[in-house]
Amino acid sequence: MCAKVLLIDDDVDFRVAVKSLLEGHGYTVLEAASGHEGLQKVVEHKPDAILLDIMMETTTEGYGVTHSLKCRDEFAEYRNTPIFMISSITENPDERFPMAAEVEMIRPDGYLTKPLDIPELLRVLEKTGGATKGAVV
Amino acid sequence: MSHSAPAPMVVVIDDDYAMRLSCAKILTKMALRAEVFEDGARGLNGVATTKPDMVIVDLKMPGISGMEVISRVHEIDPQIVIVVITGYATIDTAVQAMKCGAYDFLPKPFSPDELRLIVNRGLERRRLALESQRHEIEQTMLKRRFVTFVSHQLRTPLAAVHQYLDVLKHLDQTGDGAARRQEWLGRCLTRIEELQELIADWLTLARVEGGSLFNERIKVDLNQIIAGILKSYEPTAAAENVSLEACLPDEGLFVPGDRNCLSVLFDNLITNGIKYNKPGGKVTISGSQSRGEVVVAVADTGIGIPEKYRPFLFEEFFRAKDDGAKRTAGTGLGLHICKRIVSEMGGTIDVESQAGAGSTFRVRLPAWREPDIVGSQKDAGQQANIDCR
Repeated sequence: MCAKVLLIDDDVDFRVAVKSLLEGHGYTVLEAASGHEGLQKVVEHKPDAILLDIMMETTTEGYGVTHSLKCRDEFAEYRNTPIFMISSITENPDERFPMAAEVEMIRPDGYLTKPLDIPELLRVLEKTGGATKGAVV
Repeated sequence: MSHSAPAPMVVVIDDDYAMRLSCAKILTKMALRAEVFEDGARGLNGVATTKPDMVIVDLKMPGISGMEVISRVHEIDPQIVIVVITGYATIDTAVQAMKCGAYDFLPKPFSPDELRLIVNRGLERRRLALESQRHEIEQTMLKRRFVTFVSHQLRTPLAAVHQYLDVLKHLDQTGDGAARRQEWLGRCLTRIEELQELIADWLTLARVEGGSLFNERIKVDLNQIIAGILKSYEPTAAAENVSLEACLPDEGLFVPGDRNCLSVLFDNLITNGIKYNKPGGKVTISGSQSRGEVVVAVADTGIGIPEKYRPFLFEEFFRAKDDGAKRTAGTGLGLHICKRIVSEMGGTIDVESQAGAGSTFRVRLPAWREPDIVGSQKDAGQQANIDCR
């Protein structure tokens, strides 16, 4: 048993690469190609961490997902699931979507930049419980 | 002005009681809001709290001078229109006040009409200034959104390629995976090709927008252009099992335009017809000329465009979702470029489509007119003979 990571991104190639990487490090990786599909997968699979693209069908789709998970009652169970938002835009995401800086409800637990820095990604996931968490339970 | 907006606010600063009073009376009768103050210090306080559209200030006052009031008002809001009242109608003081940023001056004594005239003119100027400021902000926001979007479009494929290579490098230490490596490298190449296509399209768009593709308006035969494009796409179409058919008038279809632009236009439409087709499908290009207008229709028997997407079809970066069908590569710029080219040439483009049954893109362009000296006997109303090949 390994920790489960849900990867929500509309770029299939990015998903393929990151999935292989994380599986190589003992994680179970679930994929979703949209925010909507992502929310469904959260309920179905109860992931331990979520990697979430910001700009998908709309420019701020990822923030909508974060808001749902952090605030909506039907997702209350997953309120503490760590969310890491990812984007290929390198500028501070809070600057790109200034609302996020002030609106607590849509704040993720962290931001990562695409392409993901492999050691950093592994470190971040390790901190949230890591691949061994599932094995302990 | 919309009825919900409050009436413009005018602040009058003058140490002369009668002057303050009469200005306020006249301004109120003009359906404006007015506040009056008896000296510079109180006036500036008033300006800071009431945020007026206009300030009328006497230059000669005890305490803070009128000149200083002008510059301090503009520190509060540089768009506030200031009119100065000059006791001694010397050109010098007026000029000096204008240099400090005043909009106009009223020499004492002035009539109610003169006051009304100058107030109306000043408020109009304020309205225009605010409007252009708003417009500027809107433009900046649009531009910023566009830059963010384009950089996202450029960075996403690069990030995917980068991630593939990085993960390959990382995982290869653990051995095996030759097949995966081959597959991923193939994907990298595809993403890079798509990125190159995007950059090429983007450049074309920039040139179309800059007008540099329209330097020439020469007599161009669309038959020739379309025939050339069809020939170059024969192998692609054959590979997709799509047949190409032209139905163009023998005597040619002449429009005034730029050869490159027209090539880009029909290239995009014909490629789309092939790309979004079904195996065994057909792309038919037909053309005709009547009443000074050339009409070319590019019809395919492909997957069609769901109605909900049609209004956005010609917008930049718009891509209809395939709804489960195969993912087709594309930049989302092709039809936008087509639209820009057609409208630059004074024509129109529209689409008829039935989801699942195909789409027809119809381009209408002004026909070539022979210069008057030659005479236009061949031109008007002559319906072209159509020969289907």
